[in-house]
Amino acid sequence: MMTENDVKQKVVDSIRAIDKGPRAMQMYMEMCTKCGTCASVCPVYYGKGEKRYNPAERTDLIRRVYRKYNSFAGRVFGRLAGAEDFDPAVLGEWSKIFYECTGCRRCAVFCPFGIDHSVITRKGRAILDQTGYTPETMKKVVEISLETGNTDGASKQAFMAAVDFLEEEMQDEHDVEIKIPVDVKGAEYFYVPPSGDVLVNPEATMGVAKVFHVLGMADKWTMSSKCFDGANYGLFTGDDAAMKSDNKLYVDEAKALGAKVLLMGECGHAHRIMKMMMEKAGWWGELPFEVTNCMQWTAEHIEAGRLQFDKSKNPQRVTYHDPCNFGRSCDITEEPRAILEAACTDFQDMAPNRHENWCCGGGGGLSAMDDIHDFRMSISGTKKMEQVRDTEARYVATACSNCKRQLTQLMEHHEEEIEVGGVHDMLSRAILVNGKAAVRQDFT
Amino acid sequence: MEAVRFLVGAILPYLALLVFVFGMVYRIRTWLKLPAPAMTLTPAPPTEGDNKSNVLMETFFFRSLFKGDRGLWLLAWVFHVVLALIFVGHLRVFTNIDALFMGLGMSEQAIQGMSSGAGGAAGIIILITLGVLILRHVAIPRVREITGFADYAALLLIVAIIITGNSMRFGAEHFNLALTHEYFKSLATFGNIMGSPALRNSTFLVHMLLALLLVMFMPFSKILHFGGIFFTHQMIRKH
Repeated sequence: MMTENDVKQKVVDSIRAIDKGPRAMQMYMEMCTKCGTCASVCPVYYGKGEKRYNPAERTDLIRRVYRKYNSFAGRVFGRLAGAEDFDPAVLGEWSKIFYECTGCRRCAVFCPFGIDHSVITRKGRAILDQTGYTPETMKKVVEISLETGNTDGASKQAFMAAVDFLEEEMQDEHDVEIKIPVDVKGAEYFYVPPSGDVLVNPEATMGVAKVFHVLGMADKWTMSSKCFDGANYGLFTGDDAAMKSDNKLYVDEAKALGAKVLLMGECGHAHRIMKMMMEKAGWWGELPFEVTNCMQWTAEHIEAGRLQFDKSKNPQRVTYHDPCNFGRSCDITEEPRAILEAACTDFQDMAPNRHENWCCGGGGGLSAMDDIHDFRMSISGTKKMEQVRDTEARYVATACSNCKRQLTQLMEHHEEEIEVGGVHDMLSRAILVNGKAAVRQDFT
Repeated sequence: MEAVRFLVGAILPYLALLVFVFGMVYRIRTWLKLPAPAMTLTPAPPTEGDNKSNVLMETFFFRSLFKGDRGLWLLAWVFHVVLALIFVGHLRVFTNIDALFMGLGMSEQAIQGMSSGAGGAAGIIILITLGVLILRHVAIPRVREITGFADYAALLLIVAIIITGNSMRFGAEHFNLALTHEYFKSLATFGNIMGSPALRNSTFLVHMLLALLLVMFMPFSKILHFGGIFFTHQMIRKH
């Protein structure tokens, strides 16, 4: 058990270490001119204009301590220069405040100095992680994930049963056998969805299986009964070591399977960690495979005219919510739209969209936290609800399990009869297999 | 009075210059030394060259702010452009820029006209824009709640510099260009600084004192954003 002094020392050390980089974080300590632009583009602050939700104020929680210990002005002028000593009593409050930022990076798009408050949020969460102040609900998700290898806590048997169920489902829909290969060594493609896309909203995985089938590549891909959840909560808790060890399991599995392509599913942060962090920074050295996303892969085949659709299967108005990690962090914005335009009769973008789209209100792992349900429904999700309503869509497609959970709850909470689902879900309903689209039983 | 004149007129200019140069060199060196892993915010400029030109767009035209808050953009942009013009105007006292203008075919009278016309207008416009910027800090809750003493202090310091500057143009203690030029020449050549008649102008002394304080604070306060902007956008848009 840490004494109060230990805790204080730990936090102060962690904040002092900002001077060792990364460069961006260190510069964010000095660069802010308090212009208020971040607050005016923040989904949380939009939902409720309270000081605690102001991104610059949240970042100032760390900055004040930084100034006290690291800045010349802060050491000399103290409070007058905005410096304040750290008091361990605030950690309880910090554990709420740093989980009231969805890490959507919208502030960074508009800040005149390119200040990305999500970097500071993650720093704050790392401090909470090191001092044992990560919120209980978040801890639980991480524990389940570490224990079972997936955030749904599913066993290998449960996964295999789900795969069997999906194969039967597709058999019923198309009257042909469409396979979901599991643990096939030497398969070219290794598909890693979020576990929710097998267990909770499984149509996305059916969609991917159908694309492989139609392309005559049913024997060229595989899933893993060990690694079927790309979700990685180390990104959300600020625990780099956990993030890397979780990631390594998947990279090792891809190597063990001998895959040439790591095909990431509809999961924004999983794709971001693989593509923009692991691959880019070379965490594990040279890779024998490339990393791509299933939406990019499918869109390419649509573009090449290899997939046909019966759009009338999706007659309702459909809109697309850009998950922050796909839109702002990975530049995947056109591919999901290409898939939806191909598979749906009436696609309507929300405004603004793509890189400037608003967060669903459940980003940064918040979606998994049931104790802040009210906050997510009536504060952080407010803007998204308005955006969706404005499109008059009856189906919101999105490519992220966290967004899906948040959006589904939003629709329930605000009593809107708007369906929420994935991108490949819509493809699954309209794609022609042997010239015929699925004959669907009504899931809803 | 003689002591004040000595401190502000003969000591502080050198001290401020030293503090500023060492402060900025220290700052920039620290930044360059720190690891800068990519934290790409997309769409990111595809090449290193595009990234550099994006940084220039951000620095000179505040591109991100233009997308985010058009009203603030207008205020901030006008403020900084006029500030830059005023800086250029001040080169008349530090350098022999008049010779350059004459080389371009301007008469002495035309230069004088430009100086008092454009310079006078600049002094008023910057005071107005800064006033509105400060008003934002007071009036808009999302700005007010994040503004602290240091933020107001920096803004008020700039207000005071502008007012003393303006009063030397519009007020009783008008500055004398030739004498001021002479004074800076003696500073640069370590000549007879204290003998300079420019230092008899007390408004000028106050203006100098405040401006030099600002110069010294620059590397250690948020006014540092004028140097940091060249770095921050580059990092976040790096592929």
